[in-house]
Amino acid sequence: MSGDGGLTAEVLRHALVVAAEEASIVVVRSAYSTFIVEGSDASAAILDARGRLIAQSMATTLMNGMALSVALPHLLEEIPLAAMRPGDVYTLNDAYRGGVHTNDLLVYRPVFVAGEVAYFTATMIHVSDLGGLSAGGMAPLATEIFLEGLQLPPVRLATAEGIEPAIAAILRANSRTPDKVMGDVRALVAGTAVAAARLSALVETYGAAGLARGVEDYLDHTEARMRMALAALPDGTYTASYPIDDDGIHLDRAHVVRVAVTIAGEGVTVDFAGTDPQVPAAINASVSQSLAAAVFAVRCFTDPAIPMNDGCLRALDVRLPPGSLLNATSPHPCGGRFVPIYAAMEAVFTALSDAVPSMAIAASGILQPFSIASVAPPYWIHLSYDFGGVGARHGKDGPDATGVHFGLGRNSVPQAEPVEARCPLIVESVSVIPDSGGPGRWRGGLGSRTVFRFLADACVTTRGDRLRLAPPGRAGGHPGRLGGFYRMTADGALERLPAKSNNVLFRAGEAFVVETTGGGGIGDPLDRPAPEILADLKAGKITRRAAQETYGLTLDTGAP
Amino acid sequence: MHEYALGVDVGGTFTDVVLSGGNGVAAVAKVLSTHHDPAEGVLDGVRRVLAAASAAPGEVGRVVHATTLATNAVLERRGVRVAFVTTLGFGDLLPLGRYARVEEDRYDLRFDPPAPPVAREDCFEVPERVDASGRVLRAVDPDDVRRIAREIAARGVEAVAVCLLHAYANPAHETVVARVLREELGPEVTVVTGSDVWPEVREYERATTTLMSAYVGPVMEAYLGGLSARLRAVGITPRVQVMESGGGVMSAELAGRRAVATIESGPAAGALAAAEAGRQAGFADVISFDMGGTTAKVCVIQGGRPRITHEFHVGGKGSFGGRRAGTGVPIKTPAIDLAEVGAGGGSVAWVDDGGTLKVGPRSAGSSPGPACYGLGGGEPTVTDANLVLGYLAEEGFAGGSMRLDRLLAEKAVDRLAAPLGVGREDAAHAVHEIANAAMGSAVHVVTVQRGIDPRGFAMVAFGGAGPAHAARVAERFGIGTVIVPPSCGVGSAVGLLATDLSTDRVRTRPSAEPDPAVFEELAAEGAADLEAPPSEAIVERSLDLRFRGQAHEITVPYGEGPGEDFREEFFRLYEQVYGIRQRGPTEVVSYRVRVTRPVDKPPQKAPASAAPGPPGRRRAWFPETGGHTEVPVHRRAGLGRVTGPAIVADAESTIVVPPGWDAAADENGNVVLARRA
Repeated sequence: MSGDGGLTAEVLRHALVVAAEEASIVVVRSAYSTFIVEGSDASAAILDARGRLIAQSMATTLMNGMALSVALPHLLEEIPLAAMRPGDVYTLNDAYRGGVHTNDLLVYRPVFVAGEVAYFTATMIHVSDLGGLSAGGMAPLATEIFLEGLQLPPVRLATAEGIEPAIAAILRANSRTPDKVMGDVRALVAGTAVAAARLSALVETYGAAGLARGVEDYLDHTEARMRMALAALPDGTYTASYPIDDDGIHLDRAHVVRVAVTIAGEGVTVDFAGTDPQVPAAINASVSQSLAAAVFAVRCFTDPAIPMNDGCLRALDVRLPPGSLLNATSPHPCGGRFVPIYAAMEAVFTALSDAVPSMAIAASGILQPFSIASVAPPYWIHLSYDFGGVGARHGKDGPDATGVHFGLGRNSVPQAEPVEARCPLIVESVSVIPDSGGPGRWRGGLGSRTVFRFLADACVTTRGDRLRLAPPGRAGGHPGRLGGFYRMTADGALERLPAKSNNVLFRAGEAFVVETTGGGGIGDPLDRPAPEILADLKAGKITRRAAQETYGLTLDTGAP
Repeated sequence: MHEYALGVDVGGTFTDVVLSGGNGVAAVAKVLSTHHDPAEGVLDGVRRVLAAASAAPGEVGRVVHATTLATNAVLERRGVRVAFVTTLGFGDLLPLGRYARVEEDRYDLRFDPPAPPVAREDCFEVPERVDASGRVLRAVDPDDVRRIAREIAARGVEAVAVCLLHAYANPAHETVVARVLREELGPEVTVVTGSDVWPEVREYERATTTLMSAYVGPVMEAYLGGLSARLRAVGITPRVQVMESGGGVMSAELAGRRAVATIESGPAAGALAAAEAGRQAGFADVISFDMGGTTAKVCVIQGGRPRITHEFHVGGKGSFGGRRAGTGVPIKTPAIDLAEVGAGGGSVAWVDDGGTLKVGPRSAGSSPGPACYGLGGGEPTVTDANLVLGYLAEEGFAGGSMRLDRLLAEKAVDRLAAPLGVGREDAAHAVHEIANAAMGSAVHVVTVQRGIDPRGFAMVAFGGAGPAHAARVAERFGIGTVIVPPSCGVGSAVGLLATDLSTDRVRTRPSAEPDPAVFEELAAEGAADLEAPPSEAIVERSLDLRFRGQAHEITVPYGEGPGEDFREEFFRLYEQVYGIRQRGPTEVVSYRVRVTRPVDKPPQKAPASAAPGPPGRRRAWFPETGGHTEVPVHRRAGLGRVTGPAIVADAESTIVVPPGWDAAADENGNVVLARRA
């Protein structure tokens, strides 16, 4: 720490986060991609010339923060710092070089200090469309990355003169929505410019050396806090595994992520040795995404207020076996990466729940992405997800229909009115599913049910998991109820779709039903106190029958 | 003769009352708020100012009121029990919520979503459906509504909020539902509809806005009704006017019906006072900086008018001025665009596990208060740091009502100095600076983040602690002028008297081209609410516009004069806000109208002041002077030109003039600090 009690570091921390935050606001508000404008946030980060993550916007998920951090050294291998000029902007989406999947564009702008690149500002979003098997970027049945859309190696996207015409032409030619994708690109570029202007102002205020020292202090401080938090965890090696339902092609075969978490003093090793090998299907993850999962899961067992930056990563040793589900090689598809990395997170949660039972969490239902699109041009598309129920926590029920993995909130689920204004469909209902939370002393969170009634023919694409193997409970708690994707015909009959299905044709008048999986419970439901059971009954979270049969409540006749 | 106007601001700790006449402020009173019955404190303050000015109750021609009652009712969940009625299939809309998880919530496995603003069992679904174009897909059956009414009646609720899908496009079903509910439930139950309160697209925010209006409406109505009666009983007969969040005022009757519009009434009054102080000092562009005991509030005023936002969050959190989307209950009615941070005089300083100094957000409040109050508090606060630095004196705090204890402050600050390994004054200065940084982040939110360059603005400082910090906060942004208005301790109450009657209306009606008829309807509704004849109503129109295919809009003024081109303005604003030069087809989403009826206003001047006394001296610590140095302490009354480092003190506040700054009084009683070039 410098001699001012960490003052400069604290002020800089605010300023850097604000710079990233401003970039993300600009991207969200000026972008076109339906995936982000009605729900999810844009990601924005500030890195140094070595690719170290210095700060990220508050809504940036660790998935995207890690992608921006892991990919930057790969970009610099292709395009050295010396070749960069002020005003240049670079992009890539290469999953095997730090990227996520083809629809997520990573955009970087070098920030010059005294004529040399010292920092990068970076933004990324899921753009409106970059080709692949289905509109909007979901290709759940891809067997090679080539079916997932256009791959971009590190390239210069723009110069001070504007966007490179050749790159713009390539992007447009590979998109079903060329105007929108270019709108997204402009938004991403503008976001990096806003953050770069902020960063340059900080250089002016603190001087180049002052800013650099402040950044080092801040990263060191974060590392110290992280190590202190890790030291509080009990030493030992804790192992766990978590299954993936199937790969979408062979529907009866599970794939397993295995982990050994070793806590030794102030350091933690997260070793995924023994994880099943990658498959020619869209359930593999790239390195950056698996790294994010491991870091996120460990962080959940430390002080949540520790800032997210490179300092936080130094105390963690994450080992991802090459060629496994968590470290895919070309051309294995990576578009469905949330499936293996959510399994990885759940495995680490399980291992650390064993290590620290007072912080234990049961397994959760996960987000279930889907897209609904026109069957032919002109393209309209609704790309979204619903959340499963969170597993019960020791001492607390699990929240309903929200994202425990990467800490997403329900604000990323679009509202019905703007969707209906844009697409020929009616959202008939959005509701929780009673009894879907795994019963227990502490109950799992409930899953949700959303019903879309089509006013025109539409193609539905789904990418679900934990729809065959229910999230288990802990310590006598029951598993959550399984959700699913369904077709409801005009006469009300339900037909279950495969969890991972591509461009299923729905006719006008039919409905698409998304039911999410509930979270697992903790402890014996017979130990749940009567007032809590009655409150659940009153709020419609459980049925009268479950109150009696599962929770063993004796109800007076005539009670609600 | 009606020659006086009364401004009353009921805050969390104090109720401020200002009596103003033709010569400006005639008297001010600061009394403790009476939470069990806020009108009691108001009456007490009113009696005091009338006595001080030797004025008769009959001479009061106007009463303007700001209150945190609605805000507190929301924050403390003290509103009435409300039933929520919505479209079949959406009964879980509010219980499920739309929260964001920001900052540490992200990594908190034990995070619980905010408790829903209404219990699930009080949510009811009506079979009916209207589509996005307003077409009826399924007609509403009054018998279904009667069935729901019977269930609601059995619950003993006092208000009902009705919010049906797409009612902004076609309110017919809401009208039917409300009519049947009123018939069945009788006049004791308040029924509020989304199409009446705020007909704007996006069901969640419209529902919370409607719900909150129903939640606080009966509370406001009862309170305002009682207050009016008690004022009449002492001979003050004008109808009470209530400040609304957007900076206008409305009648108490309208405030009962549109209660949600009063939620930010107190802070809005402060921003208006700052605008008026800036105008008098010759600055149309000012940053209003109000620092009290627990929070600081910052607002931007451009062209003499505070900026307005169209969505804010009650009870929000996060680094974005407490208004980060998704962290509180969203309210869609217009509000003065403020950022609020948890940094005030009472904010506690502490050293975290990693050895870093932090300030706030926890406050020592008024009990036990800062260590130097000597009321048993031992934790170091911003006020303690300011005392150690010599910015405050032991004597004369809070109008001389309280003596501060320097030894206790030093002892408290030493609790920070030891673990940080720095000297006492360095630690105190770091606390002062971190508080400034936190307030700087609030300035940042309302300026830089809105694409506004704060250089060239003046800062108007008020609130108990504002004048001690303002110059240092201003420095961070290259702001060279700080104005400390007279009566800065009761700034918000003064601001109330600088207001006109006004009300806002919105309607979502998507189309490629604007339809002037929508503006006409909205303007007529607003003018009717203000009982304003057309000749007296000033109507401002704006449009929410976006590029076709986008989801976020920018609000642009819509003028009818020749050469006024809202589209050109949209392109210009788009480039200013996002840094993207773009043209293309646009679409209209919503229409906004603000109707104003001007009111005669007294001048905002200080009461005549006492004769100046000789300056005192005390030691104060500045990094520029290498530590403690002897500085002059001037009385505010009769202040000439002084050169920093110096301190200007009066009963209401202490102004710190740091090295590099000069200060002087202007003819309106403002103290104006200017940074030397």
